[in-house]
Amino acid sequence: MATTHSAASVKSVYSTGTDGSIVQSEDGSAGALDLGADIDAATFEQILEMDDDEEEREFSRSIVYDFFTQAEGTFQKMDSNLEKRDLEQLSALGHFLKGSSATLGLTKVKDSCEKIQHYGAHKDATGIEDELDDDICLKNCKETIEQAKKEFAEVEIALKRFYRDEGS
Amino acid sequence: MDGNNGPGANNSSDFVRKLYKMLETPTDENVLCSTRGRVEDLPRRKNDADEQQNEKFTKHILPKHFKHSNFASFVRQLNKYDFHKVRHNNEEGGSSPYGAGAWEFKHPDFKANNKDALDNIRRKAPAPRKPNQIADDLLPTQQMDLFNTQLVATQHQLQILQERYNELSMHHSMLLQELIGMQKTVVNHEHVMQYVMNFLQSVDGQRRRESRIANPFAPPASAQQNGTVGAGGSLLPPIEDDTPASPLQHAAKLLSETNADAILNPRNLEHMNEVSMRMNNTLTTPPPDIALRNGKRSSSRGAPPHSAASSSSIPYGDLDHMVYPVGHTNGIDPMYSEHVHNIPYPMPTKPLEPTDPRYNQPPGRKKSTQIDPGWIRQPQILLVEDDPTCRRIGGKFLYAFHCSIDTALDGLEAVNKLNGGSKYDLVLMDIIMPNLDGVSACHLIRQFDATPIIAMTSNIRSDDISMYFQHGMNDVLPKPFTKEGLLSMLEKHLAHLKKQPPGLEHMVPQPPGPPQALAHTSAKASLKSEESPATSPATVSNWNSPVGSSAADEYAHGHPGAYGIPPGSAMSQGAGTPVYATSPSGPMGAPRPPQPPPHRRQISEITGGPDDVTAASKRQQIYGSAAAAPPPMLHQPMGQSVQHPLTPLQRPRP
Repeated sequence: MATTHSAASVKSVYSTGTDGSIVQSEDGSAGALDLGADIDAATFEQILEMDDDEEEREFSRSIVYDFFTQAEGTFQKMDSNLEKRDLEQLSALGHFLKGSSATLGLTKVKDSCEKIQHYGAHKDATGIEDELDDDICLKNCKETIEQAKKEFAEVEIALKRFYRDEGS
Repeated sequence: MDGNNGPGANNSSDFVRKLYKMLETPTDENVLCSTRGRVEDLPRRKNDADEQQNEKFTKHILPKHFKHSNFASFVRQLNKYDFHKVRHNNEEGGSSPYGAGAWEFKHPDFKANNKDALDNIRRKAPAPRKPNQIADDLLPTQQMDLFNTQLVATQHQLQILQERYNELSMHHSMLLQELIGMQKTVVNHEHVMQYVMNFLQSVDGQRRRESRIANPFAPPASAQQNGTVGAGGSLLPPIEDDTPASPLQHAAKLLSETNADAILNPRNLEHMNEVSMRMNNTLTTPPPDIALRNGKRSSSRGAPPHSAASSSSIPYGDLDHMVYPVGHTNGIDPMYSEHVHNIPYPMPTKPLEPTDPRYNQPPGRKKSTQIDPGWIRQPQILLVEDDPTCRRIGGKFLYAFHCSIDTALDGLEAVNKLNGGSKYDLVLMDIIMPNLDGVSACHLIRQFDATPIIAMTSNIRSDDISMYFQHGMNDVLPKPFTKEGLLSMLEKHLAHLKKQPPGLEHMVPQPPGPPQALAHTSAKASLKSEESPATSPATVSNWNSPVGSSAADEYAHGHPGAYGIPPGSAMSQGAGTPVYATSPSGPMGAPRPPQPPPHRRQISEITGGPDDVTAASKRQQIYGSAAAAPPPMLHQPMGQSVQHPLTPLQRPRP
């Protein structure tokens, strides 16, 4: 009894205001829901669930930070392939980033990546209609890549805040 | 870069090890001390003088060992691992060796110089929280799983019911045949009796003629008197030599009366038998028939042997409990989805249990993510995925499901691994990968190996999927996959490795036939009702009643709701009506308006009306097993044709 008591009381002191979800919430601010609409909470939570340690979140943290690296690398490749006008590669890169962003629940980034995949494959945004003009495809790709970068930057900030790494 | 060994591989938690290390580090001794059997961490809160120390701990020591510098978080973590703050009572002087404001924590297994005991320090199971949110998240897949199990259980149940029903109907027809045989014997006996009677009458006539000749003055009145006494006293059969004619006549009259009945009855029975033969599976509750006979009997014989009926109704009532649900579910092909839809009861809880814990878990599961699906042995999974993020997360999930994981970065590597002799129970294959895509890899693997391969992909248009199957994929796991989706995939394809209720493995791969609606409601119902099955919708109690042989009133409550669902369906028409419609056309159609005791009356009223079998049998239940319609069925042929003729015969023997 005493056990649960002390634990509970400490918790109530330090995690006031939270709904008890995943969050590191001593200040009661950072919550999964605070990650915003850009991140699918359910998907992200199931990764957080895999963390052995709720405070340090080594697993999910490393996943997320590896993803940052991966995404930045992919964006660079996209840029260079834009210059090379290699639509096929752009499509592949879009698909690649789509997979990992989807797995993390980064919905917006995923959607943009899917568009890049389609544009690169000479399709329209939905992947249904053909778009045979390379220039249009490239232009679509370029725009969408920029958008994806912006969306990525947003979730990166949100995620870093979640992992309390703003300073680093 | 591989997700094979997560932190979970270590026995003692990171936190505890770090904590231990931190206290081992000698540099911070002014703020933190480690003594035998207890750990003291330090900073003091209330005292301004100590503020510095506190800050030092937070700003310098914590970050050195942990990835944050948050004292509160540190304390919370300590609590999570079941460290307790040491309180110094004021009576004892309130003094801690480390100063008044020191935060002191201890854990029985956390001792200096005893690193092994660290393994015993575990994170406490998280308190269940926010079950709803998670339940909602999991609902679709979970529901499907649940529903699958449910379906299996229901079908299992149905099968049992079907078997029981078959058995019972077999018994029933056996009984019927026995009865018919019995009746034939009785009829034969009666014929014998009639012959005897005829003979006796002729003998009697002869004797009278002789006596008249011999003693013309004997007063006939005395003979008559004797006769009446004999007949009234004991219904003596006319075996004695000097029995006058009137007892003979009396007996003859009785005989002819019962004889007529005996002839009617076999038809009735034979009809039933015929019906049972004709639709082997559809012979149902006999209420209409029985009631008919009740009516007939009550009219043909003023006072039915009430006591006999009620006494025999006790065992019969029990039987009826069992027969009843069977009768109504018969004709249902367990595999026919529409019928499944009509099944009025949710699955029994028993077959569900093995999987229950998992479904119950989600709320509390949060951090205790090690879900053991109950493998016989650890499944070997090959995860083929070029994307490190997906690979690591997938690997982590698989790890949590107690699987052993090998990874391949592309299709080529996967083919090589399988070709090199590695044995796996399952391959999870990304589709779009460099070097060799998943479909081609699968195609190649299929040339020499039959290991189940599951496509993991976000390209799940129908033509994509059919292409995957064409090239030998066994299934598709849409990306981004959920943990539940992955688990159900494992359970589906690794059913042979599971210690699960039998039948699940056969069932799961089948596409669930029944409509969603049922799945939704029943899944939710059983989710909610897991702790108290009785509280769930009417169907539950309804189902329980036949099995638990509960009181009759439960029938009264339960049945209308449950069986009310399929009333117009094939069952009531296929089975009920034929019996009902044809039997009145029998020779004893007249007896419908009954005058006899209240119980009977109710039943025949019911049967007289246009009620379907359901209503009839339901009310039959309500009006008690005491009155019990069934017994007469057994009783009647014997009662009428056997009982009566026998009594006269039995008398004279002693």
